[in-house]
Amino acid sequence: MSELSDELLVAYVDGQLAPKQAQAVDKVLAQDDVLAKRVSALKTAHKRLEAAFDAILAGAEADLAAHPVPRPRGFFVSWSALVQASLATAGMVLAAVMLLAGLGWPLQMPKIVWRDSVAVDMEPVGALPRDWREEVARAQALIGRDSFELGVESQTNAELARFQLARMIGPNLLVPELGAQGLRFARAQVLRFEGKPVAQLLYIDAHGAPFALYAKAREGSEEAGFKRYGAIGAVSFAHDGIAYLIAGEADEPSLMRLAEAVRRKENAPVPEAAANAPPMPNPKPKP
Amino acid sequence: MQAEDYQDSIKPGLVAMLPRLKRFADLLAGSKLAGIALLRRALKRMLAEQHRYQRSMPLDRFAFAELYRQWFEELAAEGGAAREVEDAAQTFAGLFPRKEGQDFDPLMAAYLHSLPPQHRATLLLVYGEGFDDIDAGRVLDVAPETIDLRLVRLSASLADCLSGRGQTRARANLARLYAEEAA
Repeated sequence: MSELSDELLVAYVDGQLAPKQAQAVDKVLAQDDVLAKRVSALKTAHKRLEAAFDAILAGAEADLAAHPVPRPRGFFVSWSALVQASLATAGMVLAAVMLLAGLGWPLQMPKIVWRDSVAVDMEPVGALPRDWREEVARAQALIGRDSFELGVESQTNAELARFQLARMIGPNLLVPELGAQGLRFARAQVLRFEGKPVAQLLYIDAHGAPFALYAKAREGSEEAGFKRYGAIGAVSFAHDGIAYLIAGEADEPSLMRLAEAVRRKENAPVPEAAANAPPMPNPKPKP
Repeated sequence: MQAEDYQDSIKPGLVAMLPRLKRFADLLAGSKLAGIALLRRALKRMLAEQHRYQRSMPLDRFAFAELYRQWFEELAAEGGAAREVEDAAQTFAGLFPRKEGQDFDPLMAAYLHSLPPQHRATLLLVYGEGFDDIDAGRVLDVAPETIDLRLVRLSASLADCLSGRGQTRARANLARLYAEEAA
């Protein structure tokens, strides 16, 4: 019997030897039955180990299938993704609008206690490196064909925007004027979430900081609740068959006050033409 | 409409590998019940401390390492006493599903049960997960040479069991491994 160590034989069985070494072992095995049986036993051992681990994995899968991980409530894409992606889009759009239009901002605007940007909390679960492509791709997922339904003029005119958005979201949609809260309406657009339209109303404060009010049709009412998504604070509530989310880099009291202000606003009656208009046709599926 | 909890970037990846993580937890803990509890605690910690995850690292290596760390720290805190009760052979055999069309391998179950959890984990990471000795070593916080040594001795002892060369020889191989690791 030749003397080949277990180290060498295990490396041979695992395919870790160089071709020449493996060939040398092959030659020895061809002439040594005892070693050949040893190698066969090692191969069998590894196969049965793999089979045993496969069986345990099957058991683990069956257990998890029997007790599935609960999906988070709400939509498939989290509100955090919606808020982050949309605010990123909003920021870019606002920057472009400011550059192109060369607008100056009113010097005196009602003061709201926004969060000091220096004092913004770190993200609650740590600072993972962010990939711009991932963020942009998420933003892209929110853009649908009806994102182009609003005309350019309508996008920057609150009344026109409301006229068209009410047809998509619901007749009770609020497009509030928030000047008393220090926010100026900038523009509106329609996003798409799981096939349903989501209105995005963008406001800017005296310092050019973006705030957004999102609206989506839903049933029932809901009290205002605050959540923080990294540097972005958000208050969600439902009112008159519309779910809202107001978001921006502000603290909880400020956003809660904004939410209350939105809730208190009374829209002008929806023009009858809009209220009675047939729903917007669904975009044709892409070929 | 509900504002949801912050969705981090490692959560979907962890969910996708839940069965693999559960298998690892089951093997470490020695039973399904203890395994799922361990996994739950480890996942909670991973999500709470995910800032320690670096994108340059494969997520599975990070997750397995965190799971192992959770188990090891709890074991150290408990002195291992609580685990001994849970780690009965019959409970351990429960890790292997016994349904129609699936063969139960009692010898393999008994063999794996006889090993310390660290050694079971070594075999799983290499032969179940396909990790190399470097990655398996990082997960288990040992040198790659230690992984190599374990693989040789454990494979040899298992081969001895399977080839009928006897439990004595198999045990001798394991004893040799323990002595080598202790040294």
